[in-house]
Amino acid sequence: MTNDNILLKISNVRKRFGEVLALDDVSFEINSGEVVGLVGSNGAGKTTLLRLMSGVYRPTSGSVTLGDQTPVHLMRDNLGVVPESTGLYSRLTAWENIRYHSRLYGIDDSVSWKRTLKFAQSLDMEENLSRYTKGFSRGMRQKTALLRALAHGPKVLLLDEPTAGLDITSARTVRALVEQIKQEGGTVVYSTHQLFEAQQVCDRIIIIHNGNVMANGSPDELINENECNTLEEAYVALTQEKARIRFEDSNNDKGLTKIWNKLFRPKTPSTSSNSEVIESE
Amino acid sequence: MSKSTQRIKTIAKKEVVEFVRDWRTIVAIIIIPILMFPVLFIVFPILLESEAAELDNKIVNIEIQSNEFPDYLINSFDENYTQLTIINKTFDESLSLPLDDLDKVRNMEIDAILRLNYSEEIWYYSIIHLSTSESSTEAKARIITSLIAFENNITELRIIDGGLEVDSTLDPLRWDGDTNKADVATEGEQAGLILSLFIPLVLAIWTFSSAIQPSIDMTAGERERGTLEALLGLPCTRNELLLGKWLGVATITGVGVLLQIVGLLFAIGYLASSDFIGVPALSIEAIVLIIVSIMLFAIMVVALELALAMRSHSVKEAGSILGPAIILIIFPALFTQVINLDGIESFWFSIPVINVLLALRELLLDRVIIEHIVIWFTSSVLYASLAAYYAARQFKREDIVTTLS
Repeated sequence: MTNDNILLKISNVRKRFGEVLALDDVSFEINSGEVVGLVGSNGAGKTTLLRLMSGVYRPTSGSVTLGDQTPVHLMRDNLGVVPESTGLYSRLTAWENIRYHSRLYGIDDSVSWKRTLKFAQSLDMEENLSRYTKGFSRGMRQKTALLRALAHGPKVLLLDEPTAGLDITSARTVRALVEQIKQEGGTVVYSTHQLFEAQQVCDRIIIIHNGNVMANGSPDELINENECNTLEEAYVALTQEKARIRFEDSNNDKGLTKIWNKLFRPKTPSTSSNSEVIESE
Repeated sequence: MSKSTQRIKTIAKKEVVEFVRDWRTIVAIIIIPILMFPVLFIVFPILLESEAAELDNKIVNIEIQSNEFPDYLINSFDENYTQLTIINKTFDESLSLPLDDLDKVRNMEIDAILRLNYSEEIWYYSIIHLSTSESSTEAKARIITSLIAFENNITELRIIDGGLEVDSTLDPLRWDGDTNKADVATEGEQAGLILSLFIPLVLAIWTFSSAIQPSIDMTAGERERGTLEALLGLPCTRNELLLGKWLGVATITGVGVLLQIVGLLFAIGYLASSDFIGVPALSIEAIVLIIVSIMLFAIMVVALELALAMRSHSVKEAGSILGPAIILIIFPALFTQVINLDGIESFWFSIPVINVLLALRELLLDRVIIEHIVIWFTSSVLYASLAAYYAARQFKREDIVTTLS
């Protein structure tokens, strides 16, 4: 691929939250028309990376640029984001949720409605567009969030665990939609911790572990480069270092909260003493 | 309309639509404000009156213990509603000591005992009663009514015996004519005075309290429900987000406050039939300044609440902070009510919350005093700007996307 084809560029990105280095010197490129999988265990840094790509976070150092080297937070009109939580308003209908975001993108209602209808047919969601999302299943919520992210015609679609918690049929529908977007020349960044899914959907897989990019290539390249028989074996070989725990802990408590938690936090026996108790019993 | 204005309007509209779709919100923002004061001022007194009427018709048992029984006193009790027991008795100790009668009253065999002792032209008395019993309290009240009539009768007889005229002796000092006509304040000014006693108070407390729920819902609530992250990925700036949400909360709060004031005025008008309260005589300048002061106050309060709610880790934490914070409004609001506006020192108009409340009180009396206006306007703009700046800082924080809860 030529440099002209590069759509999203992550260059030497570090992201620090207090004392925790969530991402360390991450660099890669996303080309136009590609479906790229971000694969890693929980806490690897996938969501942080997606938030950097969507402009929600700013890098501590390095840059995330879109197209002609413009910082991504200035080009958010070109992005469609589906966060893991879907982020739907339960007291609005599916269409109202979609229209709300489209209006904030500055898109005319008639344009977003046409695009929504087009993809709603693929996702079998036409009948549900006028329903409140309060009673939606996880699958319906995910599909609505996808429609919302596509309604303004983004250049890049950022999906954070789009099939997590979905039943088999819904997951297949979502994957089929990604395939459809790819066929139409769209670019998708697909975060998942399921290798099988990444292998099925993505042209290229980026394996992230403990905030570092461990590998970047097509599924076949990853298997061959690591002299393994399967992608799973390659993944295990690349991520041998013990996975860190998620950093969303209350260790950052300050002042009164810290004292309060110290006083009232329940004491948990150490693992070794537990073993002793079990043995004595 | 610029793109930015369009986005702010879209955010505010969505917030209001989403908020009013919850029936509990309609109850909290519309039904309760409209009904609160009418229920308090109209239904509650009616309920009290009916309870009082029931008590009036109750037959109470009263025992009179005395060494003498004047006919005037005995006849003053209404025999239809009072069962009198008369016991001839003399007392060696204080009349107030219940002694043997303690159990009788405590067990409610007798509702109250009137003890009398006539000695050297003086009637000494006491009423043994049980203050925690409504029947006993009613019996005591009826005894006191009879005793007052009895005392008046004795006084009049003694004045006549002394050769004096009763009316002029008992009431030697009298107002001549209509008291209202002697007041040089106009009806409009009087109406303004009455309104100034409660409008600022209601406005301050209700603005703060009714903004709590929407502020939390639109910030910590959004974060907890996971909708904030999707919103932060959109092209709108954090300031647009803050302004849109501020406009949403201010609209909801404004409607609530307006309805509460309407309910309050209706209740007062109903109770006093328009004689008690009229239309305050306000100049155009005073009206404009009232609106300005309310807007500045609303900017400050709503921005502060949005900031504190956004700063909180969870909805629960936001509630724990903003709930008790209403004290910061209630105390100054109550304090402001007792400050004398005549010759008031100017520094009062620079203290947060107090400045706007005092300004409202002054303006409702149609007192447009330039020095005070300059001070409260400048200080209010400063406080509102500080609150808005603080809110903007909270909204620009990177960690607002996640919650620790």
